[in-house]
Amino acid sequence: MAKRSLADQLDLLVEAILAGPGSPIPAADARLTPLRRVAAGLRGLPSQAFQKRLKADLAKPKLPVSEGEPAAPAVRPIREGFHTLTPYLSGPLELIDFVKRAFGGEELLRAPGSAGGLHCEVRIGDSIVMIGVGGKPMPTSLHLYVEDTDAVYRRALEAGATSTEKPVDQPYGDREAGVRDLSGNDWYIATHRATGLAPEGLRTVTPYLHARGAAEYVDFLDRALGAEEIDRATSPSGSILHAKVRIGDSILELGEAHGPYQPKPATFYLYVPDVDALYRRAVAAGAISQAAPSDQPYGDRVASVADPSGNIWHVATHVRDVVP
Amino acid sequence: MPQGRDVDERLLVEAAQKDPGRFADLYERNFDRVYAFVARRVRERETAEDLTSDVFHRALASLPRFEWRGAPFAAWLLRIAANAIADHSQRSAREKSLPEDGAPEPIVLKEVEHRARLYRSVDRLPADQKRVIRMRFGQEKSIREIARALKKTEGAVKQLQMRALKNLRARMSGTHG
Repeated sequence: MAKRSLADQLDLLVEAILAGPGSPIPAADARLTPLRRVAAGLRGLPSQAFQKRLKADLAKPKLPVSEGEPAAPAVRPIREGFHTLTPYLSGPLELIDFVKRAFGGEELLRAPGSAGGLHCEVRIGDSIVMIGVGGKPMPTSLHLYVEDTDAVYRRALEAGATSTEKPVDQPYGDREAGVRDLSGNDWYIATHRATGLAPEGLRTVTPYLHARGAAEYVDFLDRALGAEEIDRATSPSGSILHAKVRIGDSILELGEAHGPYQPKPATFYLYVPDVDALYRRAVAAGAISQAAPSDQPYGDRVASVADPSGNIWHVATHVRDVVP
Repeated sequence: MPQGRDVDERLLVEAAQKDPGRFADLYERNFDRVYAFVARRVRERETAEDLTSDVFHRALASLPRFEWRGAPFAAWLLRIAANAIADHSQRSAREKSLPEDGAPEPIVLKEVEHRARLYRSVDRLPADQKRVIRMRFGQEKSIREIARALKKTEGAVKQLQMRALKNLRARMSGTHG
């Protein structure tokens, strides 16, 4: 058999190095040993595309953080599995079962609530919703992207919801239906017909607000929470038909209240890098303090504010991991 | 570390604390180190990228709380990286050999510096050698794929790979024991 060239032998070594630890290193000319060491050091060489992408990502505007407080965080400020924005629903115990039966929700946590009652967390697709049982009901509206609007609509009705809109193809490419659950929450069920996926940036569940004075409210969200408007469609008179704002890694949809779509103040759980800074910023922007930041036994530091539209924001920074 | 570099770095940190837009300077200066530290402990590229991303996001969010105590900024970043790796390993329960204290040991720091310098040396290779190394190790492409992309024979790509590794060895041999 013809002897392999040094370049060929070296490439076999490289191939084995790239295959990862545990792959047998082929025998090779001893002169290649120093080059094999260099090649081993290059395993996992960062891709330039990743390096550039991360740089661009870091340059995007961020929520504000405070100054002068000691020590780097030991944990991620957003609890594992959560995103910046989580809708917080309230209702009877049956609401939990409804979300599970109608939308295939997976119950992640059921624990005593900090204000009495029960606190429950349910995963729906790539999103989590929190559900408080025993508190004051605050029905809201949610956009729910699913693979099959018709099937989910049927399941929701079977699980006890009432229909607010039968499935219909919309000119903007979604098949949509609406149901109201037993707590009065409106679920706008949608399937993007072309892709079967949620539009870019939206998750399975996206909160949807109908605001009176939506344009002013978008300004408030910017001042108070650092929300960034990323999409706006307006009527000829200038009122917002539909807008999207980005808060951290999440999107909130909203539109000017009209007809049957009237304001229904909602409750949100908002993870931020520094709850104290955001609390100060929100109050300075006109939010009304409901509770100053304080450490909670479940590992979050939490403050609560009410915005001018009556929505409640539980702002939190995860400060330590706690086994439920 | 030379005092001049300390002063430079301190100025960069203070600038980024006042204006997060200036964090890019600290990122450029420390990316290779952080990535090398993470890649040393985590096998999968995707996980290494996720953790590196996590480290810089955590660092950016915590930067206003960073207090200069004389240690290099990189040491603070690597501490965050060690915590991120520990969090990850707790979640995946695959890498149980990690120490509980996240502080990197001096021997580790030396190895990280060496690997970060090797990464940076790739940028100083002649263009055709650099392309081959970036595609082979950074994108994990086969010799055949690289040959097709660069319109060269497979033999020529292997030769470029060997020349590049020799070049890198020569550049590194000054301090590599």
